[in-house]
Amino acid sequence: MQLAAMLGDAGAAFRLPNAEREAAVVAALRSAFASHAGHNAFYRAQCEAAGVTAADISSVADLARIPLLPVGMFKQPDAHVLMTAPLTDVELEIRSTGTGGVPSVARRDTTTATRVVTALIGQYRDFFGIAKGAGLFLSPSTAETPEMGMVKVFNLLNGLFDDHAYVVRDYAFDPEEALGLLNRWEESMTRHIIGPPFLVGRLLRYLELEDISLKLDPESLVITLGGWKRYTGESISRRDFDEKVERHLGVPAGRVRDMYGMIESNMLAVECEHHRKHVPPWSYISIRDVEDTSIELPAGRTGVIALLDALSTSYPGFILSEDVGEVDSSPCPCGRTGQTVSFRRRLQGAELGCCAVSIEKFLDSQEIVAECEVPAAPARTEA
Amino acid sequence: MGRYSPTVVDHFTNPRNAGELDDPDVRASIGNPVCGDQIMLTAYVDDGTITAIRFRAHGCAAALAAASAISEACHGATLAELGTWDASRVDSLLGGLAPDQRHVAALGGHVVSRLVSNHREGVNDDAPLVCS
Repeated sequence: MQLAAMLGDAGAAFRLPNAEREAAVVAALRSAFASHAGHNAFYRAQCEAAGVTAADISSVADLARIPLLPVGMFKQPDAHVLMTAPLTDVELEIRSTGTGGVPSVARRDTTTATRVVTALIGQYRDFFGIAKGAGLFLSPSTAETPEMGMVKVFNLLNGLFDDHAYVVRDYAFDPEEALGLLNRWEESMTRHIIGPPFLVGRLLRYLELEDISLKLDPESLVITLGGWKRYTGESISRRDFDEKVERHLGVPAGRVRDMYGMIESNMLAVECEHHRKHVPPWSYISIRDVEDTSIELPAGRTGVIALLDALSTSYPGFILSEDVGEVDSSPCPCGRTGQTVSFRRRLQGAELGCCAVSIEKFLDSQEIVAECEVPAAPARTEA
Repeated sequence: MGRYSPTVVDHFTNPRNAGELDDPDVRASIGNPVCGDQIMLTAYVDDGTITAIRFRAHGCAAALAAASAISEACHGATLAELGTWDASRVDSLLGGLAPDQRHVAALGGHVVSRLVSNHREGVNDDAPLVCS
Protein backbone atom coordinates (compact mmCIF):
# COMPACT_ATOMS: atom_id res chain seq x y z
CA MET A 1 0.00 0.00 0.00
CA GLN A 2 1.49 3.35 -0.99
CA LEU A 3 1.60 6.37 1.30
CA ALA A 4 -1.20 8.25 -0.49
CA ALA A 5 -3.44 5.16 -0.36
CA MET A 6 -2.71 4.70 3.37
CA LEU A 7 -3.62 8.31 4.07
CA GLY A 8 -6.78 7.97 1.99
CA ASP A 9 -7.98 4.90 3.89
CA ALA A 10 -6.44 5.01 7.34
CA GLY A 11 -8.79 2.31 8.65
CA ALA A 12 -7.56 -0.22 6.08
CA ALA A 13 -3.94 0.86 6.52
CA PHE A 14 -4.10 0.32 10.30
CA ARG A 15 -5.34 -3.25 9.68
CA LEU A 16 -2.91 -4.37 6.98
CA PRO A 17 -1.43 -7.84 7.52
CA ASN A 18 1.93 -7.43 9.28
CA ALA A 19 4.14 -8.28 6.29
CA GLU A 20 2.24 -5.89 4.04
CA ARG A 21 2.30 -3.18 6.66
CA GLU A 22 6.05 -3.55 7.20
CA ALA A 23 6.68 -3.35 3.45
CA ALA A 24 4.51 -0.21 3.24
CA VAL A 25 6.21 1.64 6.11
CA VAL A 26 9.70 0.71 4.88
CA ALA A 27 8.89 1.93 1.35
CA ALA A 28 7.40 5.20 2.65
CA LEU A 29 10.33 5.89 4.98
CA ARG A 30 12.95 4.94 2.36
CA SER A 31 11.37 7.39 -0.07
CA ALA A 32 11.27 10.16 2.56
CA PHE A 33 14.87 9.42 3.56
CA ALA A 34 16.03 9.57 -0.09
CA SER A 35 14.32 12.92 -0.56
CA HIS A 36 15.81 14.56 2.53
CA ALA A 37 19.28 13.15 1.94
CA GLY A 38 19.09 14.43 -1.63
CA HIS A 39 17.83 17.94 -0.92
CA ASN A 40 19.08 18.88 2.54
CA ALA A 41 22.81 19.63 2.75
CA PHE A 42 22.92 19.50 6.55
CA TYR A 43 21.16 16.14 6.67
CA ARG A 44 23.13 14.77 3.73
CA ALA A 45 26.31 15.40 5.71
CA GLN A 46 24.88 13.31 8.58
CA CYS A 47 24.06 10.51 6.14
CA GLU A 48 27.52 10.62 4.58
CA ALA A 49 29.13 10.57 8.00
CA ALA A 50 27.02 7.53 8.91
CA GLY A 51 27.74 5.92 5.54
CA VAL A 52 24.10 5.21 4.78
CA THR A 53 22.01 5.80 1.65
CA ALA A 54 18.42 5.00 0.72
CA ALA A 55 19.64 1.89 -1.10
CA ASP A 56 20.65 0.47 2.30
CA ILE A 57 17.07 0.59 3.59
CA SER A 58 15.21 -2.51 2.51
CA SER A 59 13.65 -3.95 5.67
CA VAL A 60 12.34 -2.87 9.08
CA ALA A 61 15.69 -3.88 10.58
CA ASP A 62 17.42 -1.30 8.36
CA LEU A 63 15.29 1.62 9.59
CA ALA A 64 17.53 2.01 12.64
CA ARG A 65 20.32 3.07 10.25
CA ILE A 66 18.50 6.26 9.24
CA PRO A 67 20.31 9.17 10.94
CA LEU A 68 18.25 10.95 13.60
CA LEU A 69 17.95 14.62 14.50
CA PRO A 70 18.04 15.24 18.27
CA VAL A 71 14.80 16.98 19.20
CA GLY A 72 16.72 19.75 20.98
CA MET A 73 17.86 21.03 17.57
CA PHE A 74 14.38 22.47 17.03
CA LYS A 75 15.10 24.97 19.81
CA GLN A 76 18.33 26.18 18.28
CA PRO A 77 18.44 29.69 16.78
CA ASP A 78 20.02 28.22 13.64
CA ALA A 79 17.23 25.66 13.14
CA HIS A 80 16.98 26.84 9.53
CA VAL A 81 19.71 24.32 8.70
CA LEU A 82 17.19 21.53 9.42
CA MET A 83 14.97 22.63 6.56
CA THR A 84 14.67 20.61 3.37
CA ALA A 85 11.91 22.85 2.01
CA PRO A 86 12.52 26.56 1.46
CA LEU A 87 10.87 28.98 3.88
CA THR A 88 8.68 30.19 1.00
CA ASP A 89 6.93 26.77 1.04
CA VAL A 90 6.35 26.84 4.82
CA GLU A 91 2.69 27.21 5.76
CA LEU A 92 2.67 26.45 9.46
CA GLU A 93 5.01 27.06 12.34
CA ILE A 94 3.96 24.94 15.28
CA ARG A 95 5.57 25.41 18.63
CA SER A 96 5.76 24.07 22.11
CA THR A 97 7.27 25.80 25.10
CA GLY A 98 8.39 23.79 28.08
CA THR A 99 9.48 24.74 31.56
CA GLY A 100 12.73 26.20 30.20
CA GLY A 101 10.88 28.93 28.29
CA VAL A 102 12.70 28.47 24.97
CA PRO A 103 10.23 27.37 22.30
CA SER A 104 10.72 24.37 20.07
CA VAL A 105 9.49 25.33 16.61
CA ALA A 106 8.59 22.87 13.83
CA ARG A 107 7.93 24.26 10.37
CA ARG A 108 5.55 22.46 8.02
CA ASP A 109 5.41 23.08 4.32
CA THR A 110 2.33 22.74 2.11
CA THR A 111 2.80 19.04 1.33
CA THR A 112 3.39 18.13 4.98
CA ALA A 113 0.42 20.18 6.17
CA THR A 114 -1.89 18.51 3.65
CA ARG A 115 -0.67 15.05 4.59
CA VAL A 116 -0.91 15.67 8.34
CA VAL A 117 -4.44 17.08 8.18
CA THR A 118 -5.51 14.05 6.09
CA ALA A 119 -3.74 11.64 8.47
CA LEU A 120 -5.22 13.11 11.64
CA ILE A 121 -8.78 13.24 10.33
CA GLY A 122 -8.39 9.62 9.16
CA GLN A 123 -7.11 8.59 12.60
CA TYR A 124 -9.88 10.43 14.44
CA ARG A 125 -12.49 8.77 12.24
CA ASP A 126 -10.95 5.34 12.64
CA PHE A 127 -10.34 5.46 16.40
CA PHE A 128 -13.21 7.63 17.60
CA GLY A 129 -15.86 7.26 14.88
CA ILE A 130 -16.96 10.82 15.50
CA ALA A 131 -19.06 12.61 12.88
CA LYS A 132 -21.54 14.48 15.07
CA GLY A 133 -22.22 15.51 18.66
CA ALA A 134 -20.72 18.25 20.78
CA GLY A 135 -17.12 18.76 21.83
CA LEU A 136 -16.22 20.51 25.05
CA PHE A 137 -12.62 21.60 24.60
CA LEU A 138 -10.85 22.17 27.89
CA SER A 139 -8.15 24.17 26.19
CA PRO A 140 -7.61 27.57 24.64
CA SER A 141 -8.83 27.99 21.06
CA THR A 142 -6.48 28.18 18.09
CA ALA A 143 -7.54 31.83 17.76
CA GLU A 144 -5.94 32.47 21.15
CA THR A 145 -2.92 30.21 20.67
CA PRO A 146 -2.61 29.73 16.89
CA GLU A 147 0.79 28.04 16.90
CA MET A 148 0.44 25.74 19.90
CA GLY A 149 0.82 22.15 18.69
CA MET A 150 -1.56 20.46 21.12
CA VAL A 151 -4.32 22.98 20.47
CA LYS A 152 -3.85 22.60 16.71
CA VAL A 153 -4.21 18.82 17.00
CA PHE A 154 -7.36 19.20 19.12
CA ASN A 155 -8.74 21.81 16.77
CA LEU A 156 -8.90 19.40 13.84
CA LEU A 157 -11.45 17.43 15.84
CA ASN A 158 -13.89 20.30 16.11
CA GLY A 159 -14.90 20.13 12.45
CA LEU A 160 -16.27 16.66 13.15
CA PHE A 161 -18.68 17.94 15.80
CA ASP A 162 -22.03 19.68 15.32
CA ASP A 163 -21.22 22.09 18.13
CA HIS A 164 -18.17 22.86 20.20
CA ALA A 165 -16.81 25.31 22.74
CA TYR A 166 -13.39 26.19 24.08
CA VAL A 167 -13.59 26.99 27.78
CA VAL A 168 -10.07 28.24 28.48
CA ARG A 169 -10.00 31.93 27.63
CA ASP A 170 -7.37 34.49 28.53
CA TYR A 171 -5.67 31.64 30.38
CA ALA A 172 -8.56 31.18 32.77
CA PHE A 173 -10.74 28.11 33.18
CA ASP A 174 -14.22 28.29 34.64
CA PRO A 175 -15.55 24.78 35.49
CA GLU A 176 -19.05 26.20 36.01
CA GLU A 177 -19.11 27.30 32.38
CA ALA A 178 -18.00 23.80 31.34
CA LEU A 179 -20.76 22.26 33.42
CA GLY A 180 -23.31 24.68 31.95
CA LEU A 181 -22.38 23.65 28.41
CA LEU A 182 -22.60 19.95 29.23
CA ASN A 183 -26.07 20.54 30.68
CA ARG A 184 -27.12 22.61 27.66
CA TRP A 185 -26.15 19.86 25.21
CA GLU A 186 -27.69 17.07 27.30
CA GLU A 187 -30.98 16.69 25.47
CA SER A 188 -29.71 17.21 21.95
CA MET A 189 -26.20 15.88 21.38
CA THR A 190 -23.70 13.24 22.44
CA ARG A 191 -21.20 15.07 24.59
CA HIS A 192 -17.43 14.61 24.34
CA ILE A 193 -14.68 16.15 26.45
CA ILE A 194 -11.30 16.97 24.96
CA GLY A 195 -8.31 18.41 26.77
CA PRO A 196 -4.98 17.83 28.48
CA PRO A 197 -5.24 15.50 31.52
CA PHE A 198 -4.52 18.29 34.02
CA LEU A 199 -7.49 20.38 32.81
CA VAL A 200 -9.87 17.43 32.67
CA GLY A 201 -8.57 16.78 36.19
CA ARG A 202 -9.56 20.31 37.22
CA LEU A 203 -13.10 19.71 35.99
CA LEU A 204 -13.18 16.38 37.85
CA ARG A 205 -11.93 18.06 41.03
CA TYR A 206 -14.65 20.69 40.76
CA LEU A 207 -17.32 18.00 40.30
CA GLU A 208 -15.88 16.10 43.27
CA LEU A 209 -15.87 19.16 45.53
CA GLU A 210 -19.40 20.10 44.49
CA ASP A 211 -20.49 16.46 44.86
CA ILE A 212 -21.79 16.36 41.29
CA SER A 213 -21.98 13.12 39.34
CA LEU A 214 -22.95 13.45 35.71
CA LYS A 215 -23.95 10.68 33.37
CA LEU A 216 -22.72 11.60 29.93
CA ASP A 217 -23.96 9.66 26.93
CA PRO A 218 -23.36 6.03 25.84
CA GLU A 219 -21.11 7.16 22.97
CA SER A 220 -19.30 9.91 24.89
CA LEU A 221 -15.52 10.01 24.74
CA VAL A 222 -12.94 11.72 26.92
CA ILE A 223 -9.94 12.44 24.67
CA THR A 224 -6.65 13.59 26.17
CA LEU A 225 -3.26 14.72 24.92
CA GLY A 226 -0.44 16.60 26.56
CA GLY A 227 1.12 14.28 29.08
CA TRP A 228 0.46 13.07 32.57
CA LYS A 229 2.90 15.26 34.44
CA ARG A 230 2.07 18.67 35.80
CA TYR A 231 4.55 21.55 35.44
CA THR A 232 5.35 21.04 39.11
CA GLY A 233 6.66 17.56 38.26
CA GLU A 234 3.74 15.85 40.00
CA SER A 235 2.34 12.88 38.07
CA ILE A 236 -1.33 12.38 37.32
CA SER A 237 -2.29 8.74 37.88
CA ARG A 238 -4.04 7.29 34.84
CA ARG A 239 -5.88 4.74 36.96
CA ASP A 240 -7.22 7.42 39.36
CA PHE A 241 -8.08 9.60 36.40
CA ASP A 242 -10.11 6.86 34.69
CA GLU A 243 -11.89 6.03 37.96
CA LYS A 244 -12.85 9.67 38.51
CA VAL A 245 -14.02 10.04 34.90
CA GLU A 246 -16.29 7.05 35.40
CA ARG A 247 -17.51 8.28 38.80
CA HIS A 248 -18.13 11.94 37.94
CA LEU A 249 -18.81 11.86 34.21
CA GLY A 250 -20.23 8.37 33.78
CA VAL A 251 -17.78 7.54 30.99
CA PRO A 252 -16.23 4.05 31.22
CA ALA A 253 -12.44 3.61 31.01
CA GLY A 254 -12.65 2.09 27.52
CA ARG A 255 -13.95 5.42 26.26
CA VAL A 256 -11.17 7.46 27.82
CA ARG A 257 -8.57 7.78 25.06
CA ASP A 258 -5.17 9.32 25.42
CA MET A 259 -2.88 10.25 22.53
CA TYR A 260 0.90 10.57 22.29
CA GLY A 261 2.89 12.82 20.01
CA MET A 262 5.25 15.77 19.90
CA ILE A 263 5.17 18.89 17.78
CA GLU A 264 8.45 18.05 16.03
CA SER A 265 6.97 14.84 14.60
CA ASN A 266 3.82 14.24 12.57
CA MET A 267 3.36 10.91 14.32
CA LEU A 268 0.31 10.89 16.58
CA ALA A 269 -0.34 7.59 18.36
CA VAL A 270 -4.02 7.29 19.31
CA GLU A 271 -5.29 4.94 21.98
CA CYS A 272 -7.79 2.22 21.12
CA GLU A 273 -10.42 0.85 23.49
CA HIS A 274 -7.76 -1.47 24.93
CA HIS A 275 -5.63 1.50 25.95
CA ARG A 276 -2.86 0.76 23.49
CA LYS A 277 -1.50 3.69 21.50
CA HIS A 278 -1.17 2.65 17.86
CA VAL A 279 1.71 3.96 15.79
CA PRO A 280 0.30 4.93 12.37
CA PRO A 281 1.48 2.90 9.35
CA TRP A 282 3.34 5.91 7.90
CA SER A 283 5.57 6.03 10.99
CA TYR A 284 7.94 3.75 12.85
CA ILE A 285 9.16 3.98 16.41
CA SER A 286 12.64 2.81 17.22
CA ILE A 287 13.56 2.38 20.87
CA ARG A 288 17.18 3.26 21.60
CA ASP A 289 19.53 2.35 24.41
CA VAL A 290 19.66 5.24 26.90
CA GLU A 291 23.45 4.89 27.22
CA ASP A 292 24.13 4.58 23.48
CA THR A 293 21.33 5.80 21.25
CA SER A 294 22.89 4.22 18.16
CA ILE A 295 21.71 0.85 19.52
CA GLU A 296 18.13 -0.15 18.78
CA LEU A 297 16.41 -2.18 21.48
CA PRO A 298 13.88 -4.93 20.73
CA ALA A 299 10.15 -4.58 21.37
CA GLY A 300 9.34 -4.69 25.07
CA ARG A 301 12.61 -3.10 26.22
CA THR A 302 12.51 0.41 27.66
CA GLY A 303 14.65 3.12 26.09
CA VAL A 304 14.72 6.48 24.33
CA ILE A 305 11.89 6.93 21.83
CA ALA A 306 12.97 7.76 18.25
CA LEU A 307 10.21 8.65 15.79
CA LEU A 308 10.55 8.10 12.06
CA ASP A 309 7.82 9.78 10.07
CA ALA A 310 7.26 9.59 6.32
CA LEU A 311 4.87 12.55 6.13
CA SER A 312 7.42 15.32 6.57
CA THR A 313 8.78 17.00 3.46
CA SER A 314 9.78 20.24 5.19
CA TYR A 315 12.59 18.71 7.30
CA PRO A 316 13.79 15.15 7.95
CA GLY A 317 11.11 13.68 10.19
CA PHE A 318 13.55 11.33 11.89
CA ILE A 319 13.66 12.55 15.47
CA LEU A 320 15.50 11.33 18.56
CA SER A 321 13.20 12.46 21.35
CA GLU A 322 13.90 13.05 25.05
CA ASP A 323 11.10 10.65 25.99
CA VAL A 324 11.59 7.19 27.41
CA GLY A 325 9.23 4.32 26.68
CA GLU A 326 8.78 1.09 24.83
CA VAL A 327 6.99 -0.45 21.88
CA ASP A 328 4.85 -3.56 21.73
CA SER A 329 4.42 -5.44 18.47
CA SER A 330 2.10 -8.15 19.78
CA PRO A 331 -1.39 -8.36 18.24
CA CYS A 332 -3.93 -5.97 19.71
CA PRO A 333 -7.47 -7.26 20.30
CA CYS A 334 -8.79 -4.20 18.46
CA GLY A 335 -7.55 -5.70 15.19
CA ARG A 336 -5.08 -2.99 14.29
CA THR A 337 -1.61 -4.22 13.38
CA GLY A 338 1.90 -2.89 13.86
CA GLN A 339 3.53 -1.19 16.81
CA THR A 340 1.95 0.35 19.85
CA VAL A 341 3.92 2.77 22.02
CA SER A 342 3.97 3.48 25.73
CA PHE A 343 5.50 6.63 27.13
CA ARG A 344 7.11 6.13 30.56
CA ARG A 345 8.96 9.30 31.49
CA ARG A 346 11.18 12.10 30.28
CA LEU A 347 14.87 11.40 29.87
CA GLN A 348 16.83 12.32 32.98
CA GLY A 349 17.88 15.96 32.76
CA ALA A 350 15.38 16.80 30.00
CA GLU A 351 13.11 19.73 30.73
CA LEU A 352 9.42 19.09 31.18
CA GLY A 353 8.33 20.40 27.85
CA CYS A 354 4.95 20.39 26.20
CA CYS A 355 2.02 22.64 25.41
CA ALA A 356 -0.04 21.37 28.36
CA VAL A 357 2.74 22.19 30.81
CA SER A 358 3.00 25.66 29.32
CA ILE A 359 -0.77 26.27 29.57
CA GLU A 360 -0.96 25.01 33.14
CA LYS A 361 2.01 27.06 34.29
CA PHE A 362 0.59 30.22 32.77
CA LEU A 363 -2.93 29.48 34.02
CA ASP A 364 -1.62 28.99 37.55
CA SER A 365 0.45 32.17 37.40
CA GLN A 366 -2.62 34.14 36.26
CA GLU A 367 -4.63 32.72 39.16
CA ILE A 368 -1.88 33.66 41.61
CA VAL A 369 -1.84 37.19 40.19
CA ALA A 370 -5.63 37.39 40.54
CA GLU A 371 -5.50 36.08 44.13
CA CYS A 372 -2.81 38.60 45.08
CA GLU A 373 -4.50 41.55 43.45
CA VAL A 374 -5.26 44.37 45.87
CA PRO A 375 -9.01 44.97 45.74
CA ALA A 376 -10.02 48.42 44.58
CA ALA A 377 -11.26 50.68 47.34
CA PRO A 378 -15.06 50.76 47.42
CA ALA A 379 -16.55 53.84 45.86
CA ARG A 380 -17.75 56.36 48.42
CA THR A 381 -21.46 56.99 48.49
CA GLU A 382 -23.14 59.92 50.00
CA ALA A 383 -25.13 59.04 53.11
CA MET B 1 3.43 39.03 -1.57
CA GLY B 2 3.96 35.49 -0.32
CA ARG B 3 3.64 34.48 3.29
CA TYR B 4 7.22 35.53 3.96
CA SER B 5 8.79 38.60 2.36
CA PRO B 6 12.08 38.11 0.48
CA THR B 7 13.79 40.01 3.34
CA VAL B 8 12.44 37.60 5.96
CA VAL B 9 13.48 34.61 3.83
CA ASP B 10 16.96 36.08 3.36
CA HIS B 11 17.59 36.88 7.03
CA PHE B 12 16.10 33.59 8.25
CA THR B 13 18.23 31.60 5.83
CA ASN B 14 21.41 33.69 6.17
CA PRO B 15 21.32 35.29 9.61
CA ARG B 16 23.77 38.15 10.22
CA ASN B 17 25.42 39.00 13.55
CA ALA B 18 24.22 35.89 15.37
CA GLY B 19 25.77 35.34 18.79
CA GLU B 20 26.59 37.38 21.87
CA LEU B 21 29.32 39.95 22.48
CA ASP B 22 31.73 39.50 25.38
CA ASP B 23 31.37 42.14 28.06
CA PRO B 24 28.94 44.31 26.06
CA ASP B 25 28.24 47.96 26.86
CA VAL B 26 24.52 47.20 26.82
CA ARG B 27 22.25 44.16 26.79
CA ALA B 28 18.52 44.16 26.07
CA SER B 29 16.23 41.16 26.07
CA ILE B 30 12.52 40.91 25.32
CA GLY B 31 10.26 37.88 25.22
CA ASN B 32 6.64 36.92 24.74
CA PRO B 33 5.69 34.58 27.61
CA VAL B 34 2.93 32.82 25.71
CA CYS B 35 4.39 32.11 22.29
CA GLY B 36 7.98 32.05 23.53
CA ASP B 37 9.53 34.39 20.93
CA GLN B 38 12.66 35.94 22.41
CA ILE B 39 15.21 38.44 21.12
CA MET B 40 18.35 39.48 22.97
CA LEU B 41 20.74 42.14 21.69
CA THR B 42 24.23 42.86 22.97
CA ALA B 43 26.11 45.89 21.68
CA TYR B 44 29.25 47.97 21.98
CA VAL B 45 28.51 51.68 22.00
CA ASP B 46 31.09 54.34 21.24
CA ASP B 47 30.16 58.00 21.57
CA GLY B 48 26.46 57.25 21.16
CA THR B 49 26.94 55.01 18.11
CA ILE B 50 26.53 51.23 17.89
CA THR B 51 29.92 49.92 16.81
CA ALA B 52 29.20 46.20 17.14
CA ILE B 53 26.03 44.24 17.79
CA ARG B 54 25.03 40.58 18.08
CA PHE B 55 21.67 38.87 18.58
CA ARG B 56 20.29 35.68 20.03
CA ALA B 57 16.72 34.79 19.11
CA HIS B 58 14.26 31.97 19.57
CA GLY B 59 10.85 31.46 18.05
CA CYS B 60 9.18 31.75 14.68
CA ALA B 61 10.99 32.43 11.40
CA ALA B 62 9.85 36.06 11.39
CA ALA B 63 11.27 36.60 14.91
CA LEU B 64 14.63 35.13 13.92
CA ALA B 65 14.69 37.21 10.73
CA ALA B 66 13.69 40.34 12.63
CA ALA B 67 16.56 39.92 15.08
CA SER B 68 19.03 39.54 12.23
CA ALA B 69 17.63 42.48 10.23
CA ILE B 70 17.51 44.71 13.33
CA SER B 71 21.12 43.91 14.17
CA GLU B 72 22.19 44.79 10.65
CA ALA B 73 20.24 48.06 10.65
CA CYS B 74 21.45 49.03 14.14
CA HIS B 75 25.12 48.64 13.30
CA GLY B 76 26.55 52.13 12.80
CA ALA B 77 23.33 53.82 13.91
CA THR B 78 23.23 56.34 16.75
CA LEU B 79 21.20 55.69 19.87
CA ALA B 80 19.29 58.88 19.11
CA GLU B 81 18.21 57.42 15.76
CA LEU B 82 17.25 54.11 17.36
CA GLY B 83 15.20 55.96 19.96
CA THR B 84 12.68 56.82 17.24
CA TRP B 85 12.11 53.18 16.19
CA ASP B 86 8.76 51.54 16.68
CA ALA B 87 6.90 48.46 15.39
CA SER B 88 6.16 50.03 12.01
CA ARG B 89 9.89 50.68 11.49
CA VAL B 90 10.60 46.97 12.08
CA ASP B 91 7.69 45.96 9.85
CA SER B 92 9.08 48.04 6.97
CA LEU B 93 12.62 46.82 7.67
CA LEU B 94 11.34 43.27 7.10
CA GLY B 95 9.51 44.18 3.89
CA GLY B 96 6.09 43.73 5.49
CA LEU B 97 4.69 41.00 7.71
CA ALA B 98 1.62 38.78 7.40
CA PRO B 99 -1.08 39.40 10.05
CA ASP B 100 -0.03 36.40 12.13
CA GLN B 101 3.59 37.63 12.11
CA ARG B 102 2.95 41.22 13.20
CA HIS B 103 3.61 40.47 16.86
CA VAL B 104 7.23 40.21 15.77
CA ALA B 105 7.27 43.88 14.73
CA ALA B 106 6.17 44.84 18.25
CA LEU B 107 8.78 42.52 19.76
CA GLY B 108 11.50 44.05 17.56
CA GLY B 109 10.41 47.61 18.32
CA HIS B 110 10.45 46.84 22.04
CA VAL B 111 13.91 45.31 22.06
CA VAL B 112 15.45 48.28 20.21
CA SER B 113 13.71 50.71 22.51
CA ARG B 114 14.93 48.69 25.50
CA LEU B 115 18.49 48.74 24.15
CA VAL B 116 18.40 52.52 24.04
CA SER B 117 16.83 52.96 27.48
CA ASN B 118 19.12 50.36 29.09
CA HIS B 119 22.18 52.20 27.79
CA ARG B 120 20.84 55.53 28.99
CA GLU B 121 20.12 54.12 32.45
CA GLY B 122 23.23 51.96 32.65
CA VAL B 123 21.31 48.70 33.17
CA ASN B 124 21.33 45.30 31.47
CA ASP B 125 18.61 42.67 31.17
CA ASP B 126 19.58 39.33 32.63
CA ALA B 127 16.40 37.62 31.48
CA PRO B 128 13.83 38.40 28.81
CA LEU B 129 11.41 41.13 29.78
CA VAL B 130 7.78 40.44 29.02
CA CYS B 131 6.68 42.02 25.76
CA SER B 132 3.27 43.66 26.16
